[in-house]
Amino acid sequence: MNLNTEAAKNNTYDAIVVGTGISGGWAAMELTKNNLKTLVLERGRMVKHPEYPTATKDPWQLPYAGQATREDLKQQPKQARTGYTVRQDIKHWFVNDLENPYTEVKRFDWMRGYHVGGRSIMWGRQSYRLGAMDFEANAKDGIAVDWPIRYEDLAPWYDKVEKWIGVSGSKDGIEHLPDGHFLPPMELNCVELDLKGKVKDKFGRPVTIGRTAHATAKLDHSPQRGTCQFRNLCSRGCPYGGYFSSVSSTLPEAEKTGNMTLRPNSIVYELIYDEKKGKATGVKVLDAETGEQTEFYAKVIFLCASTFGSTFIMMNSISNRFPNGFGNDSGELGHNIMDHHLSVGAGASVEGFEDQYYFGRRANGFYIPRYRNMGGDKRDYLRGFGYQGGASRQGWTSLVSELSLGAQLKETVSKPGQWSIGMGGFGEILPYHENKVTLNKELKDKYGLPTLTFDADLRENEYKMRKDMANDAAEMLEAAGYKNVHTFDNKIGVGLGIHEMGTARMGKDPKTSVLNKWNQVHACKNVFVTDGSAMTSSACQNPSLTYMALTARAVDYAVKELNRQNL
Amino acid sequence: MDRREALKRTAWIMGGVISAPALAGILKGCTAKPSINWKPAYLSQEQATLISQVSEIIIPKTDTPGAKEVGVPEFIDLMLKDVYSEEDQKRFMDGLKKFDEDANTEYGDPFIELSADDQAAFVKKVHDEAIATEHSENRPAKRPFILMTKELTLLGFFTSKAGATQVLQYEAVPGAYKGCVPLKEAGNGKTWAT
Repeated sequence: MNLNTEAAKNNTYDAIVVGTGISGGWAAMELTKNNLKTLVLERGRMVKHPEYPTATKDPWQLPYAGQATREDLKQQPKQARTGYTVRQDIKHWFVNDLENPYTEVKRFDWMRGYHVGGRSIMWGRQSYRLGAMDFEANAKDGIAVDWPIRYEDLAPWYDKVEKWIGVSGSKDGIEHLPDGHFLPPMELNCVELDLKGKVKDKFGRPVTIGRTAHATAKLDHSPQRGTCQFRNLCSRGCPYGGYFSSVSSTLPEAEKTGNMTLRPNSIVYELIYDEKKGKATGVKVLDAETGEQTEFYAKVIFLCASTFGSTFIMMNSISNRFPNGFGNDSGELGHNIMDHHLSVGAGASVEGFEDQYYFGRRANGFYIPRYRNMGGDKRDYLRGFGYQGGASRQGWTSLVSELSLGAQLKETVSKPGQWSIGMGGFGEILPYHENKVTLNKELKDKYGLPTLTFDADLRENEYKMRKDMANDAAEMLEAAGYKNVHTFDNKIGVGLGIHEMGTARMGKDPKTSVLNKWNQVHACKNVFVTDGSAMTSSACQNPSLTYMALTARAVDYAVKELNRQNL
Repeated sequence: MDRREALKRTAWIMGGVISAPALAGILKGCTAKPSINWKPAYLSQEQATLISQVSEIIIPKTDTPGAKEVGVPEFIDLMLKDVYSEEDQKRFMDGLKKFDEDANTEYGDPFIELSADDQAAFVKKVHDEAIATEHSENRPAKRPFILMTKELTLLGFFTSKAGATQVLQYEAVPGAYKGCVPLKEAGNGKTWAT
């Protein structure tokens, strides 16, 4: 009895954070800075900045010229679907699909990284605010449910997050893509500048440099982070701390407070619910290495385990009060899967600019903010898309299909090739109740835990939008006078954008949503969910900045509620 | 004049006629068979020799190293073994066999025993035909043997240190990005390796 009490005491903290990715890192930093003893649980292995195994390897130091082997593809067949994730330099950041299986009713692309830092190590780093239009969209269109917050609610938290993580960008004064606190913008190259001028003249649309979480100037508050070195090897992990990740930024800051206990190899599989208190009292953890099961307790719990990670934990937490999954009175848990649909756009070759080139490798491109279904524009679909693209001069790969051979090939290849340009759309996916994920108790993972089954698809609205995404891109490239303009529209599964969202959405009404306006579970106020699962609509902007802002805001509220003894 | 031609003339001067098999015997008898000094893991010794010769024709040693010097043949052998799908392996090996048979039909000897000039001429002929097909209406979905070999050779060579830093230019840590500069101010003005 005494021993148990002692064990319980040793395993009790003020707060528990599940997950160490973009959201979990922020929750950990904010909770510990508010002097709360915080246990941070990560299902995967430990990763410490700046220890990234491949970060400084030159091309000739990677086996197979960096390409995936047949054996790699056997171990990671689903992770390989992007075409860029299973390579010799970054494959270790993506899960083994044989050990971590899932089921697809329709093709579903679920890219995961199980390690400290999560996908904040390999993320795309594009950082855009959602605008007023985005928070109002569902209400205006009568789609799904209304967001319980508006842009003004989140704006100060966007400020806070941008100042901390460092976002390089240019102030463009675009109402629906609000400016933020930016570090110096990266440069567009000659051809991109040419496109910018022509698209402005002929269509009135802005082309701007991508807003990206790279330190283009020193961040005084994060001495462990240097500035971006323009190596463009970001997904390996950056030993310079040139871009923001949990491992380079929020977790070291949390560590510094002395209030964080970080426990890797800790798979949270269930929330513990106390029927009498009407609260969650803790979590159940399976040790990934030893198989040992342990309970940890806290006053407040932040689920930041990624959209489907958090949703899995909630669906797997069954009690008398919550027979259909934790906090799932509405029946919406696991529904309304969103992502951004992409892999559609156009490319062209560009004549001229032969005496101009660039120096350095910019891990960024140009951005064309949404312009469809705004102002006077009205399409046969709802919402819209933004474009991301870039121009570059061709290198040796283009010579495989040219006549060049021998000494002449060596001569030809040493001169930069023709310029080419391409852009791809990132389109909003509507929150369809039918797009869902469910718990699969038949198929178990390596640890004997249930798995997930995905049943989600793009629908008519997205397919109509994709036509515009291809045609508009071609139209702009044609109008700019570029040659060999060609469109592309690849068949993709939902998930390929790696922007999964929506399965525990925020809303005003507990009958139709899982979380309230503070990311609190409607029916259990001491559990907060602040990853992508909270999203009520997807907008078309890359979402991570919004997850961070929601997390910082939710922690601030949780701390106030703890002080008011409401939790 | 190559050695085959020299032998034929010698025969003529001697007033006799040397049969083709006899000629082949003389050729094989009086010269060491071309080979390689490493042990292939996927290809046979002869196949690896052929790939080694073809890759050096695609990227020869000039004032900078060529394919052989930077280990491209070994790289191709490894890529075939571990990276290529079974389907691509088969396509490559079938293509290699046909390439050698066609060389034999045209020159009367296996490819690896041809003179350097004949080898280069044959590679150029097969290569140029494949490029023409690639740019035609009948473009095949998958590249033929010669272009697979070219692709692997270029991949291996330009990701090698010499290829990336001597033929192209490479900056491990650029430290800055300049988007729009005159070519001559972009490093040494050569194509960036990455």
